[in-house]
Amino acid sequence: MHTASWHSVGMTLDECIKCNICTAYCPVAAVTEKFPGPKYAGPQAQRFRESGQLKSPDLAVDYCSACRVCNEVCPSGVKIAEINARAKAQIVAARGIPLRNWFFGRNEILGMIGNRAPQIANLGFHNPFSRWMAEKILGVARHAPIPHWSTRGSFASWFRRTPRLKSENKVVYFHGCSTNYYEPEVGQAAVAVLEHLGYEVIVPPQNCCGLPMLNNGEFPAAEKLYRSNLAKLVPYADRGYPIVGTSVSCVLVLREEASEMLDVENDQTHRLGRALWDLSEWLRDLHEQGKLDTNFRELKMILPYHVSCQARAHRMGRPSLDVMTLIPGLDVREGNAKCCGLAGTYGYKSEKYEIAMKVGADAFRFVRAQGDAARMVTSDSEICRWQLQHGTQKLARAPIEILAAAYGLYDLDQRRLKAG
Amino acid sequence: MTELVVIGAGLAGLIAATRAAQAGHQVKIIAKGLGATHWHAGSVDLLGYFPNETVAIQRPLDAMRDIARVQPQHPYALLGDAQIGDALKNFLALARAIGLPYSGANQDGDNLWLPSPVGAARPTFLAPRAQRAGELSRTEPMLIVGLRGMRDFYPELIAENLGKQGHRARAAFLPLDLITDRRDITTVQLAYALDDPARREKFASELKKLAQSGERIGLPAILGMDAHADTFDELQAQTGAEIFEIPTLPPSVPGIRLTNALRNHLRELGARVDVNMDVIAFHAEGARVLWIESEASGRPLKHRAEKFLLATGGIIGGGINTDHTGKIWETIFGLPLVAPRERGQWFRARFFDPAGHPIFRAGIPVNREFQPIDANGARVFANVWAAGGTLAHCDPILERALEGIAITTGSAAACFAGRK
Repeated sequence: MHTASWHSVGMTLDECIKCNICTAYCPVAAVTEKFPGPKYAGPQAQRFRESGQLKSPDLAVDYCSACRVCNEVCPSGVKIAEINARAKAQIVAARGIPLRNWFFGRNEILGMIGNRAPQIANLGFHNPFSRWMAEKILGVARHAPIPHWSTRGSFASWFRRTPRLKSENKVVYFHGCSTNYYEPEVGQAAVAVLEHLGYEVIVPPQNCCGLPMLNNGEFPAAEKLYRSNLAKLVPYADRGYPIVGTSVSCVLVLREEASEMLDVENDQTHRLGRALWDLSEWLRDLHEQGKLDTNFRELKMILPYHVSCQARAHRMGRPSLDVMTLIPGLDVREGNAKCCGLAGTYGYKSEKYEIAMKVGADAFRFVRAQGDAARMVTSDSEICRWQLQHGTQKLARAPIEILAAAYGLYDLDQRRLKAG
Repeated sequence: MTELVVIGAGLAGLIAATRAAQAGHQVKIIAKGLGATHWHAGSVDLLGYFPNETVAIQRPLDAMRDIARVQPQHPYALLGDAQIGDALKNFLALARAIGLPYSGANQDGDNLWLPSPVGAARPTFLAPRAQRAGELSRTEPMLIVGLRGMRDFYPELIAENLGKQGHRARAAFLPLDLITDRRDITTVQLAYALDDPARREKFASELKKLAQSGERIGLPAILGMDAHADTFDELQAQTGAEIFEIPTLPPSVPGIRLTNALRNHLRELGARVDVNMDVIAFHAEGARVLWIESEASGRPLKHRAEKFLLATGGIIGGGINTDHTGKIWETIFGLPLVAPRERGQWFRARFFDPAGHPIFRAGIPVNREFQPIDANGARVFANVWAAGGTLAHCDPILERALEGIAITTGSAAACFAGRK
């Protein structure tokens, strides 16, 4: 594994041979000239951002969506997306952060507040007038697929309320903010599947992974969250429990991105990194050991699978696809769109909404091409699911919900656990 | 169970994987990034020059017999006429099937001469359809058309250099905004822009006004990406002139078209291509490699297979690495290499020495079945094959044999691997 340190990201700069393959594949540069492309905003401009120099030579780097397609295609191993993220942080450190981006970074707090009275919060924020105001005043795109607060209560409260399986075999679950406040069903499906497989699920206190802050250049605040998560999760890692997550982007942050971008690397970060799994990755591993119950019910449906850029950034192959392929009757169709466009909070910003929709066009086209018989679509990232739902009007479900349904534990249409 | 893992997604890897998949084998390609084909001119150079000779080769298939006499370990010598012929025939059929037909000069097997991006004559063996009309053996005058404001394509330079070599050529410009509203744009983005029928119609009607009767028109290689065939046909039909593309600086549109078409074909054959997978370790028992491991966010990803085919490229491609002390190593399996003994022997004094530099002939020695061998000629692993630029005893760039070596050895190595 590459070691994570400031040094290593910086060193990869020298590997750049200026071949521009990243520019050729950048989904953002393809649809707007506001972003000159990864090579120019990244390795090229980086040479003018001396350490300690506060003025960035290139504000266009703000238009990088952090999808990491550049890293993926680079033949020389340059960490372009990380170079761009650090450049954004440098701009924020020098110029301060816009109020809107400050809010976006705090989705954990926003989730918590809305969760107090979700109906009122949804009505208050998600009405056309408020959204119009939010666009005019804050620059939050009026039509962007910002999630609704769940009216079924948070995941954490459901978890405490309902009886739990006790077992020798324990798994720790990192739900992330979106599962907790917006899509508790995803967490319920995960718990149902894990308990079905005979594991006791532990949900420890946890914080936002910090990705929204990292993406918006708020590095010091993101570091606080990362250190807090380390303190809360490492003790479980030390007990030898696997820590699984249903949000690919949270898992990526906790096991690699935060450490690399913030240059926080120590024995604790290594211990957490080794214990963390994407849930599908963990189930695939279980299957490879011959320990996964593959007694699935037939699930007769066509299911377009959008491989999110965050899932590809893990370099772990296609674990969700590998596991879903085990379900009889299920016709999973893998798309090859580069990115859904939304990319964290990128597509929520009024000046970037159109760009995000144009970037997502390939993914929307792929989903629509599967025909009306495909009622649902799946993707590992909640962000992609919201964007696909927005762009195609089809229902979007997480791979773990599909799996829970195949075990007969879950109703995909109603989006809830089956009784009993 | 994967039968064959091909490491490397350049032309050698793509051809090898296609050949194996066509034969019904379960194939997967993993690659560190995209490369090679994105730097090619998109034509197939088979053999253009012998080392130390400045006169170009006219009939490469005949010349190969001489190479076999002088350099019995050259990949072409190992292959022999029959295998080279078979691989080329297979490539021509494949290229036609994937919608990118290639052709050679004539039945006699002469090299073609095509204009380079600076107007020099370059020998190549097979050209894509869109480059054929640029043949320098023809006498019709050429009109080289650039787009004002486009980087990396200079029609005056090309026309002037062609004129110095006795060809009739003149330069002209069209405004860039015929194709795009952007000012900052790459060749790849221009190619995608011309996929739009409305834009290319506008472009064609202006182009028609420039051309005089009897002239053939040379354009930068941007004539469509996904809709290349339509773009090319429509431009010729609407201008009434023969049109040819001149490859530009990397990333190369003709090379990307070939990569895309081959990757789509592989997907249809059920073979997966995963990039961003950097192989960091392998596990062998006895003479068999059981699995290789690629770097990932959490834990290395294991790739088990019955057979492994190295198509990782040479020093430029990343299959072979060096350091300042003169150390040189093969990056995946640490295979024995043929290479200059000391760093002082890597380079000759003159940069453009017609004999080339010894370091660029470094590579993996193989037997006639394209399995890596050690200094005693003994096979290193029972289930590893190698193809393309990573092979020893050739200098593909100097010899103008880059794509030819990739296609013929890729094809042959896959066939040998399939037989075991």
